[in-house]
Amino acid sequence: MVNLDQYLKPNQTEYYALGLEGSANKLGIGIIKHNIGQLTTLNKAEVLSNVRDTYITPAGEGFLPRDTARHHRNWVVRLIKEALNEAFGCGLHDSFKKLDCICFTQGPGMGAPLQSVVIAARTLSQLWGIPMIGVNHCIGHIEMGREITNAMNPVVLYVSGGNTQIIAYSRQRYRIFGETLDIAIGNCLDRFARVLKISNYPSPGYNIEQLAKKGKNFIELPYTVKGMDLSMSGILEFIESLANDLFNGKKNKLLIAKNGTNGTNEDEEKITIEDLCFSLQECLYAMLVEITERAMAHVNANQVLIVGGVGCNERLQEMMKIMVLDRNGSIFATDERFCIDNGIMIAHAGLLSYRMGDFTELSESVCTQKFRTDEVLVKWRDD
Amino acid sequence: MSSLPTAIYTSPDLTRNFHVDPSKSHTTDGVTTGPSDHVLKAGAIDKDKPSLIPTDAKIGLLRAYLTTLQDDVNLFLTKRMAHDDLNSIEGDLERRILDDGVDEDDDDDE
Repeated sequence: MVNLDQYLKPNQTEYYALGLEGSANKLGIGIIKHNIGQLTTLNKAEVLSNVRDTYITPAGEGFLPRDTARHHRNWVVRLIKEALNEAFGCGLHDSFKKLDCICFTQGPGMGAPLQSVVIAARTLSQLWGIPMIGVNHCIGHIEMGREITNAMNPVVLYVSGGNTQIIAYSRQRYRIFGETLDIAIGNCLDRFARVLKISNYPSPGYNIEQLAKKGKNFIELPYTVKGMDLSMSGILEFIESLANDLFNGKKNKLLIAKNGTNGTNEDEEKITIEDLCFSLQECLYAMLVEITERAMAHVNANQVLIVGGVGCNERLQEMMKIMVLDRNGSIFATDERFCIDNGIMIAHAGLLSYRMGDFTELSESVCTQKFRTDEVLVKWRDD
Repeated sequence: MSSLPTAIYTSPDLTRNFHVDPSKSHTTDGVTTGPSDHVLKAGAIDKDKPSLIPTDAKIGLLRAYLTTLQDDVNLFLTKRMAHDDLNSIEGDLERRILDDGVDEDDDDDE
């Protein structure tokens, strides 16, 4: 077992880390505490604070890098103060002295928002004389998911606005078994929400989920699993054209549902927006379930952990659960505090890295939009 | 004060220095650092303005100086780019290549 305390300072009994996340439209700040020793079910990481502010755009609009970066720049100081106050209950000047390291998302993500947050991390690191740790965003999700759910060695389904990957751990790397070949699943849902002009608050995916609950008729959409990978841009194009036909009152035989029970007395019903949301969710999630099941079979695993913003979706969790239980396995998922991008996961993964003696020099703290999950050497595991 | 931020723009035909005047008032809510026109046109309400700077916040004041400097640089560059677009032959060629599909080597071809 890896010794997580080989760099322990004299008289130190615990570690504290500040995490800064801003790779997309959420700005998250979290403070985590680890007691010395291995992290176990009896020695859990402690979340001292986990605050977040989301940049929300008007219905029908996505978030542009420039405006998202501005949001992060203008909120980061206020959120850091709030997080420190919530964690330590004392002023800024006393609380930062407790911190061992400042962890920030180094990538992957949108360039401008990432850069805003890395500047905040660099400034604090130099002001306070505390080392910085650059964290891979995906590793943050995985490690926080494992910590919260106690899933020891799961197949990880990482589904969010920017990423869709099926991951399994092997020899100190989180290896990608399958992934999207084009757009991420959250991006597919968000962009469809824009076509429907539904609200971006609290998130487009959540609003699609609520509409989907009212859907009754399933429309067959392209089903595009490619081996262990997925493709979603074609599905989006297909359903967008259906939605446009529906809005414009254009005739399309796919927009008529036939509800006849015996084939002779068919009762035609018009397809609704709710039906489209329902069909999109069912199709996309079925694809995810398929590749997850195959990954489980490949690595002979019986645990599945769902992380990332789309992981909050209850229908996805439900569909995955049916498959996992069928294989006598267990499913693990977290709620929106840890599923949706947050600072605490960056603090947690960064602190694990710090405890293994890693830190990021100022000159190496450049953020990167492209930073694959399997590039990170997972020093804190050796199983 | 030596700690005031400055900026220098150089190009083959022009050098320009930018300075901030500490005797004037400065804000972190700059004229060119607001929300983009695109989101405002879409009906966005700006909830992300920077907070007011406390008078004793050195870093906040530095940020206000930088915002002023950034405004000056942005306005200068925008004006220069607009001027270039109108007058420069290269700019026109670029526009013709991009918009009209003109081949760059057309003039050399017989």
